[in-house]
Amino acid sequence: MNASRLQWASSSPALSTGLETSSSCSKLGFVNFRGGGGCGDSLKTKKGLFVIKAMDVEGSRTVNLNGHAGDSDKNGSLLSSIGNSTNIQWHQCSVKKEDRENMLKQKGCVIWITGLSGSGKSTVACALSGILYRRGKLAYVLDGDNVRHGLNRDLGFKAEDRAENIRRIGEVAKLFADAGVICIASLISPYRRDRDACRALLPAGEFIEVFMDIPLHVCEARDPKGLYKLARAGKIKGFTGIDDPYESPLNCEIALRHTGGECASPCEMAEEVISYLEEKGFLQA
Amino acid sequence: MSTISNSTNIFWQECPVGKAERQKLLNQKGCVVWITGLSGSGKSTLACSLSRELHSRGKLSYILDGDNLRHGINKDLGFKPEDRTENIRRVGEIAKLFADAGLICIASLISPYRKDRDACRAMLPDANFIEVFMNMPLELCESRDAKGLYKLARAGKIRGFTGIDDPYEQPLNCEIEIQQNNGVCLLPAALAGQVLTYLEEKGFLQVE
Repeated sequence: MNASRLQWASSSPALSTGLETSSSCSKLGFVNFRGGGGCGDSLKTKKGLFVIKAMDVEGSRTVNLNGHAGDSDKNGSLLSSIGNSTNIQWHQCSVKKEDRENMLKQKGCVIWITGLSGSGKSTVACALSGILYRRGKLAYVLDGDNVRHGLNRDLGFKAEDRAENIRRIGEVAKLFADAGVICIASLISPYRRDRDACRALLPAGEFIEVFMDIPLHVCEARDPKGLYKLARAGKIKGFTGIDDPYESPLNCEIALRHTGGECASPCEMAEEVISYLEEKGFLQA
Repeated sequence: MSTISNSTNIFWQECPVGKAERQKLLNQKGCVVWITGLSGSGKSTLACSLSRELHSRGKLSYILDGDNLRHGINKDLGFKPEDRTENIRRVGEIAKLFADAGLICIASLISPYRKDRDACRAMLPDANFIEVFMNMPLELCESRDAKGLYKLARAGKIRGFTGIDDPYEQPLNCEIEIQQNNGVCLLPAALAGQVLTYLEEKGFLQVE
């Protein structure tokens, strides 16, 4: 008799001993659901596992797990349809975000620092990561410039590339937050719609938008990379603030301002963000 | 100023808190464990098991599962060769960021083309790329058919399915090869143990 070992995409301690089945069960997969609610054709076993029958219907897609919305086929099973990718199954794992957060004694989130070139985003990001490190917290900076050296090296600065740049960084930041890391994204991200799309990727409260509210003339006077000069001379086209718009946030969590002709220091600004994180409970498990 | 393909005027931003500091905080060394193999060879299962073992030892890991990422960052990609290449490139770059953050990043995806996996290896210096090959026979993977995909592929309902009508190029020099033992599979926890031993021996689970 051909006994085939069951294959499962996620495991709980109860499953880790392994299960042998007869070949008649070889199409079944066990997955570990968070909470109740299976989808489609499911049975609850004694161990609280849900058995999902792999559907063999013409034109069917993989059964959608983990509470994603999807259409039903004629048999009433949930189908998933994700962009270009069909037959993609969601894999759940037994080590969850809360477990990582308990270990790190912090809560994962995304701090999204937006503003004009030269407004001080990278400087505040660095200052913030320094303060967090000294407090024993794990943070990671996703700097727009740095990411354009690697993941986003195939993208330029036209509008659709900016949108894709921001989309990808938003998705990566989401992964870091899920890993329990305090992820500090620092990029101009000039279009409101793109920033809001990133906000929508994260659970409520975990996307913390920080607006570097520094006037253009101050940024231009700094011109740390000499880019405003080039833009004014027409040597760079589509430069934010000069010939491409910056859309200020309408409801950011934190606005770091330039008050009365003077700027707070990067550390003072970073401390404002730290206070917010503390108040909201991100600096403890 | 640096000139990088499409992007000029991009500056590298340095920060005082670097990889070394984060590793010290976590008491581990960031790296990428890249699990490759046919569909149904047990990649996700091993990834979960490994993550659980690491967590029980107080080590921070994170799984980048090929399927899960195709729900998010890679939702715009399909399965034609250039899309597979881009999928793997992006996962490699993300894994690199996670390793830089000090995490043990477990990437679990078929990644069938040698050139693409080697390109990811090249992204990570200092031997921080650990390739794990789930060397399970096609017949075994197909008999499991955990997602019902082999059946669909055999019926011609999926095209370009790895192992059926798209190639899988085995690694030539992976760090760890997982095989059956006289036709019997080891349990996931035991396989995770193999990888854990490797990580321990190479010094990834502590900072001197």
